[in-house]
Amino acid sequence: MATRIVVIGGGAAGIGAAGAARATDPDAEVRVFTEFEDVGYSPCGIPYVHGREIDSFERLFLADKETYEQAGIDIAYETRVSDIDLGSRTVTVEGTGPVPFDRLVIATGFNYEPLDVPGSELGGLYHVKNIRQAMEWDRIIEEARSAVVVEATPLGMEMVTALAHRGLEVHLVDPNPWLLADAADPDIMQPVEESLIEMGVKLHLRTKLQEFVGDRTVQAVRTSDGEIPADIAVVCTHKRPSNKLAADAGLKIGSTGGVIVNAHMATSVEGVFAAGDCVELPHEVTQVPVVSLTGSHAYAQGKVAGTSAAGGDRRYNPVYVPWGMVAGKWMIGGASTGETLATALGMPFMMGVAEGISRARYYPGVMKVKVKLLFDPASRHLIGAQMVGGEGIKERADFLGMAIKKRVTVDDLASMENVYSPPIGALNEPIALAAQNCLARLEG
Amino acid sequence: MNRFFGWLRGNAERHLLIAAQKDMASRYLQREGPVIRQRFFWRRVFVPLYRLLPWRLRHRIMSAMPGSHRQWYRGSGPPRRS
Repeated sequence: MATRIVVIGGGAAGIGAAGAARATDPDAEVRVFTEFEDVGYSPCGIPYVHGREIDSFERLFLADKETYEQAGIDIAYETRVSDIDLGSRTVTVEGTGPVPFDRLVIATGFNYEPLDVPGSELGGLYHVKNIRQAMEWDRIIEEARSAVVVEATPLGMEMVTALAHRGLEVHLVDPNPWLLADAADPDIMQPVEESLIEMGVKLHLRTKLQEFVGDRTVQAVRTSDGEIPADIAVVCTHKRPSNKLAADAGLKIGSTGGVIVNAHMATSVEGVFAAGDCVELPHEVTQVPVVSLTGSHAYAQGKVAGTSAAGGDRRYNPVYVPWGMVAGKWMIGGASTGETLATALGMPFMMGVAEGISRARYYPGVMKVKVKLLFDPASRHLIGAQMVGGEGIKERADFLGMAIKKRVTVDDLASMENVYSPPIGALNEPIALAAQNCLARLEG
Repeated sequence: MNRFFGWLRGNAERHLLIAAQKDMASRYLQREGPVIRQRFFWRRVFVPLYRLLPWRLRHRIMSAMPGSHRQWYRGSGPPRRS
């Protein structure tokens, strides 16, 4: 009899799991349940359609529904799983009843942290998540003249940039003293802040959200900085693991709220796996669990969970979290930890900072690249990095993530070789300059 | 028990981050810290006490919390020290 594998969730982790399960065991019966109308698209691309960098939402889809059918993956759309019964090994599907499974993959994703302010139930509050809703919201944005974006999270930064590109009067409200303050350092974000102001964005930093004001639909946002009239408000609060189904079923939940898993993405119950934004994973440098990583993390975890569920052997590694994004007119990025997070944790570190350039100094289009590196004082290993620049940030973030993993030292980086070619690389690599700066600081 | 550790981690993370953001904002931007209400215990007792502890001990406490990290690492010392 074929192994019955049920996947709850049709996001990157769920679809990755379903595909990997079929690839591992072609005879397996793989069923995916998703609450939404679609699967297999990139929600991370939504802000860029709103910003008109991408011309249509259709481009975000990786495959059509027939492709999944042909791949032998049975997907139930707009279908909610309300319960997991680990005793009878069934999930309860609303409108259908119990559906048995031999192996289960939970990929229920995330919810936005709720806002505890009056008016949170009003219309006109946009939570960026589902592509069909994004299509509707795109038409609303077309008619809107002003928008308030709530919180300068990564999504908040992307939406502010997108809405500014669309020509709306954009306000950003955040309680912190600088943008993206929970992830990035103030000196890294300073150029981004200046560029957003140049783009006409009104920044309300160190500002408390107090109320969404309106009759049925939001008309203004009341803050500690005064009332801001708004046609729409985009809620970009932090992502929290959607763990209710897993917790109700009795699976162990970690201190982050994410489902506890091991390297095979196996949960505390045999035959039950979990992946994506609903799980927590160890951060290799600090060795503490973290949640809310990227789509590429979710997809890779899904692959591991699906392979494991189908009887294969695949492992997921602790994370170093290389990251990067466009914010305002700049690219920002990094790996592992920045100065702010290391300071919060009280990790010992030594630091080097340098400002270099992305191409030969005389080559058209040359841009600044600022690199900040953190090293462990005892081992001299690289433990974190942050950057801001005009180009080449993503590639440096990937490289630095791997450098942290391979325990590259400040001495290695200070003497690293680099590509020199006028259109693509400068004589001096900014990463090497930052490491040399760290050594110079050590020498006093 | 998990609810307790969730409460502990959530508060500790938030208040340590706010304290660090306050320091960083002052050092780099000459600005005040976040406008987030903080309870007396976390701001005046927990954060200063945490900062007094050596990193090795802090890390041992963090590692002792239940979580996925304990599925990967068992009885490890502070990270990245050889």
